[in-house]
Amino acid sequence: MLYDYLIAPFVDMAAAPDFLLQVLWEGLVSGILYALIALGFVLIFRSSRIFNFAQGIMVVFAALTLVGLHAMGIPAWISVGLTLAVMFVLAVTIERVVLRPLVGQPDIILFMATIGITLFLIGFGEIIFGGENKVMISDELGIPTGDTVLEPFGGLLILQHLDITVVVVATLLVAALLAFLNYTQMGRAIRALGDDHQAALSVGISLQTIWVLVWFIAGIIALVTGIAWGARAGVSFALEVIAYKALPVLMLGGLESITGAIVGGLMIGMLEKLFEIYWGQPFLGGNTETWFAFVLALIVLLFRPQGLFGERIIERV
Amino acid sequence: MKHFTKTAAAAVLGLGLGTAAVAQELYVPNLAYRTGPFAATGIPLMNGQADYFTMLNERDGGIGGVPVNAAECETGYSTEKGVECYEKVKSDALVTQPWSTGITLQVLPKTNVDEIPILAPGYGFSPMADGTVFQWAFNMPAGYWDAASMIVQHMESEGDLDGKKVAFLHLDHPFGKEPLPILEKLAGEKGFELLPIPVGLKEMQNQSAQWLQIRRERPDYVVMWGWGAMNAGAITEAVKTKYPMENFIGVWWAGHDADLRLVGEDGAGYKSISWSFPNADAPVMRDIQELVIDAGLSETNPEEASGVFYSRGVVISAILGEAIRTAQEEYGTAEISAPQLRWGLENINMTEERITELGLDGMVPPFSTSCANHTGHSGGWMLEWDGEKFIKASDLMTANQDDYQDLIAEKAQEYASSNAPWPTNEECSATN
Repeated sequence: MLYDYLIAPFVDMAAAPDFLLQVLWEGLVSGILYALIALGFVLIFRSSRIFNFAQGIMVVFAALTLVGLHAMGIPAWISVGLTLAVMFVLAVTIERVVLRPLVGQPDIILFMATIGITLFLIGFGEIIFGGENKVMISDELGIPTGDTVLEPFGGLLILQHLDITVVVVATLLVAALLAFLNYTQMGRAIRALGDDHQAALSVGISLQTIWVLVWFIAGIIALVTGIAWGARAGVSFALEVIAYKALPVLMLGGLESITGAIVGGLMIGMLEKLFEIYWGQPFLGGNTETWFAFVLALIVLLFRPQGLFGERIIERV
Repeated sequence: MKHFTKTAAAAVLGLGLGTAAVAQELYVPNLAYRTGPFAATGIPLMNGQADYFTMLNERDGGIGGVPVNAAECETGYSTEKGVECYEKVKSDALVTQPWSTGITLQVLPKTNVDEIPILAPGYGFSPMADGTVFQWAFNMPAGYWDAASMIVQHMESEGDLDGKKVAFLHLDHPFGKEPLPILEKLAGEKGFELLPIPVGLKEMQNQSAQWLQIRRERPDYVVMWGWGAMNAGAITEAVKTKYPMENFIGVWWAGHDADLRLVGEDGAGYKSISWSFPNADAPVMRDIQELVIDAGLSETNPEEASGVFYSRGVVISAILGEAIRTAQEEYGTAEISAPQLRWGLENINMTEERITELGLDGMVPPFSTSCANHTGHSGGWMLEWDGEKFIKASDLMTANQDDYQDLIAEKAQEYASSNAPWPTNEECSATN
């Protein structure tokens, strides 16, 4: 019995190392996409203490806008530019109409406001784009299709060119974001707001500008995520549920930590895949990915309530 | 002020007349879902359903001269919203169409009290076939256990199943689990190994773990009970995993053109059992084109209107229309009641001749219902994706009812016992 649970899975891994590599690769691809979505949450939370419930629908909205604009006859890359413009207008609108009037309100009110944004974008998106599944314009954007088949250890490892592209683009985006946050004035302003709101405001950092900026960056992340997921299985409102996969990433990595979002995303992506394949499917009937990440995050929270990379909250009473 | 009072009075009078006019209609509300994660598959079905009744209203002034009102109540495929919709529409409805196995299971016990039929064509709780127990529920022209039986027949036609492995990829939801009892029974009888692989609602778009399992297990066939975004996710993963598409077979809800268009040529060979087929040359489709689509009364588009799901919506409304017509003839009144419609639903006789008279040539197999048989067991065709569209890949198949007849009676009784007191149709039991 103990052998089945504790030893046999590792024997399986050693017996078919090519399959183990495939599992890890699939986990890495999923993980990097989870990390991207989590980054959108973290950026907004760091700068405004708002848990942005609308991140998932922003992924759908950005992808649908891109596909919709292209369907109107606009060339693919111009559609990307216009979609970014739409996401910028959305960021400005959210800041002006929703967030600015709620400055100083309790966090829960701002959280509820993002639920309102979600519901609005669902309704608005369905009116504009309809609810049908749409094909992502992968070919038009030059996203490579096909695959490379490797034979490690005499076995089989299939690497989809789309997945390789996603990993490369997501890595570049994360690197660019880190560079922006660490080496630019605006980036430092965002971090300053995250570290100490009052102190940042006292030195003249504009809350409104930063909010627009972080919501716009979240919009860019949403577009990249939407293209990546949409190219895999089409663009529809079902994509919204992907965002829920970022919640355990945030619990694990910490709501304020960019490193936590990246490491947490990769950890959850790979660990949930390993657990599902080697333990979930043989012993638990499969479909463990729906809960494994949450259980893992809860175990971490038992020992580090702030997450692996979050800052310890000390409140003096 | 005087002007306002006159306007208000006129409005009240108008409303009154409007209400009176509304009564002169056949109200068959649809618990539709054009929003949410399953909208992509819901929209073409709802459009097909709506367009058929619009066509009847335009061409014939309705059914028996009474216009049909097939208003929709949006559920988003949510069981909670579906139950709310049911409660909202039931007071005037002749029938309700829950459009989800989850909603069907929730409203099933209410039908005995409300005495309004529920119509769940090709879905819902399979033992609803037993009309002696489920007096008010109908799922014609075929149920999930018919589909499972026909899919196993198809696999068997390609060779003995003894010793083979069949993966059952299904949505982890009441709908996805419906055929399990039959597949397990047939696996035992025919000697194949059944490997259930559930897909969670949040994993529909990312099924890499499920397909890694399929790659590891190397099943001879993959049978899919998928819906909404799950189908597109599975089909793209199957292509990615290089699974032989000719051995990948879906239920009728996993045969949506738009899902296959995502992979195009790479999806060639994929199959789906179906009790409906799109025939653009059928008279009913020509009438819909002329009187509804060309007249700007439809929400569909040419690509959607040529697909399997749109035509299935048309067929569903045609079946309901036939039940209404049957009830009108029996009771000698055009404005029938819900219990009268139940009689109509129990006495549908869709022969080849009647299908032709209705202009549905080649779109639905013949079937008939009775007070004891609420499913009809029409059989279906195995459709195959040729890279651009679905084509018929088999002659008309019929389910082997011996596969599940005992199980229907057993599960129906089990349901009735666990929901006691559950009224049964004694009159029907006595005559059948």
